[in-house]
Amino acid sequence: MKSILSATILLLSLNTFAQNVGDFELKDIDNNFQTYDDLKGDKLTLIDFWATWCKPCMKAIPELNKIYTSYKDKGVEVIGISCDGPRSVSKVSPLSKSLGIEYPILLDIDSEIKTDLNLSAFPTLIFVDTEGEIVWIHEGYLNGDEEEIVAELEKRLNEN
Amino acid sequence: MKIRKSLVSKLTIYTFLFFGISSASFAQFSGNNLVESQFGQLPNDTSNITTLYARTVANYKHKDFKVSGTIEQFYSPREGSTYLSVSQFSLQYKKKPLDIKLGNFYETIGRGSLVRSFEIPGAVLEDLSFRSRHYFNRNILGLSAKYRHKNLTTKLVIGKPLNFVFPPTQGFKIRRVDNIAALYTEYNVKKQTIGVAGMRHSNSGNNGYYLMTTVSGSVSPSISYYTEVAKNIGDFSIGDFSRNAPYVIYAGLNFSAGSFGMSIEYKKYNNFIIGSGINEPPALVKEHTYRVLNRSTHVLQPSNESGYQIELFYTFPNFSSLTFNNTLAVNNFGERTTFSESYVEYDFTANEIHDIKVFMDYANDPFKSQKNRISSGAYADWKISKSSGLTTDYEFQRFERLAKTFQNHVMVLGYSFKSKVVGSIVAETSNDSFIIETPSKVWLGINLKYQLAKSHNLQIFAGERRGGPACNAGVCYEVLNFKGLELRMTNRF
Repeated sequence: MKSILSATILLLSLNTFAQNVGDFELKDIDNNFQTYDDLKGDKLTLIDFWATWCKPCMKAIPELNKIYTSYKDKGVEVIGISCDGPRSVSKVSPLSKSLGIEYPILLDIDSEIKTDLNLSAFPTLIFVDTEGEIVWIHEGYLNGDEEEIVAELEKRLNEN
Repeated sequence: MKIRKSLVSKLTIYTFLFFGISSASFAQFSGNNLVESQFGQLPNDTSNITTLYARTVANYKHKDFKVSGTIEQFYSPREGSTYLSVSQFSLQYKKKPLDIKLGNFYETIGRGSLVRSFEIPGAVLEDLSFRSRHYFNRNILGLSAKYRHKNLTTKLVIGKPLNFVFPPTQGFKIRRVDNIAALYTEYNVKKQTIGVAGMRHSNSGNNGYYLMTTVSGSVSPSISYYTEVAKNIGDFSIGDFSRNAPYVIYAGLNFSAGSFGMSIEYKKYNNFIIGSGINEPPALVKEHTYRVLNRSTHVLQPSNESGYQIELFYTFPNFSSLTFNNTLAVNNFGERTTFSESYVEYDFTANEIHDIKVFMDYANDPFKSQKNRISSGAYADWKISKSSGLTTDYEFQRFERLAKTFQNHVMVLGYSFKSKVVGSIVAETSNDSFIIETPSKVWLGINLKYQLAKSHNLQIFAGERRGGPACNAGVCYEVLNFKGLELRMTNRF
């Protein structure tokens, strides 16, 4: 027991490094396979992990749509990854189209990418740089968060 | 068993240490940690007790390899409920076109008719029988291999799914009674996909052979579909859909036109519970986030259920949206019963800054003996500055049972400053004789969430919390009533 606890403490004390988003591949809502490499932005990529049953996720989507239309010509791409399971995945396509989401929506029925990136909340928004490194993570969505997201986006773009 | 546990623990430690120390500069170490402490009373408790639950997930990635481990621990003064366990451990190799996992993993075949695994983020289960807490998940222990090349995808799953009812205090053989070996292959051509799966299942004394086919795709940018048929072919012929034959028939059709979207689903499930319940065909019942409705969610009966679900969405030019859902589920266990529900929600923005949601629901639920159940409510998010807001939520529910009328009410007053500080006061009342012994009861609690840093959150609950059925991410479970103080800290590293 002591050895497990000691190992945990030792591991936590190690220097940690930013995570990388590998070139994952998922189906989109039109049943086409899409890879991250094909969809990523020239300067920055925003990935939104969401689900149809998540109310804050629904609140964030119009703001992400605005970001996508405002920044897509500035090298920024937005990718939505729906983590709806078998129970609600059928609603992703009609809901996305009804909401007028312009950025690509991918389906991750097993939450494989979310788990792989060690994310646990809905919605979670991550910023990924050109090296594939996750440079910013934002969990949840409430009033005022949109300004923080845009400010961070501007900051990251100015760094490039 | 002790030797096996000890071996797994040591293997986990040494693997992490080896990778961690030898090549830290080239690899990625990540993880998360959840610590939850309760001081108070659960049902049947006569005095306050203090418990501590902790879960640490650590991942180590090096080139195409990834090692993951999960340690769970629970401490309680109750005898037999305390444990420290390496509850998950896995090694993954991922390089196109291969993805191989050894150890604990999550894998669903099709829409879950044959096998469904899941992890509900943040949900910690406690059961009155065991009085031990553990993370809510159904992982599979074994081997998973996926191969994808151009239009062909093949998946192999061999392992033992977890029966999540049992906490880690129970033995390996009790928690993992089922064995599965499944092979799934699908082929994509011009936006259409055809899939076939075969699965062998066994547990103490029972063997079953199952076949599943899926056909899905897009007919046009506005129309897509999905069908899944699964059957037991070991004891019944492939074309036998008679009364006793175990089978699943599921079909879904999606349509969208401009701001209008529609999802129609049909189900017919018969005698299709595999082993201890490792499968879960699509439920086709609306999963609500509103408290009174989430608690009332109809629980799917794969042993005998047929029905449909229709959901319509419309987004108006001002971004307000209308959602309508109609659900029907028919069960026949000697007596035919029908669950029906109609739901409508309107979501709009007032004065261009305040978000308002109103809903209305009408249902009849024979399993819960609830007739003419009417639920309604309004959620308002009042923006008071650029970064802060007030929330006022009210939910109401009324239903008839055995010629009596019962009511549930939920009231929430909340404040938020971005996602940094979120606080709320929650009051619930009920006179439902199925859940309380007094004529009526009030639950009053305070929630506070503080973001210490971007990856560190502290949550506090104080007061009395109403339990009952809860559904999250498509999975339903039971939450116990709680009275006392609860602290939860989550960290991501």
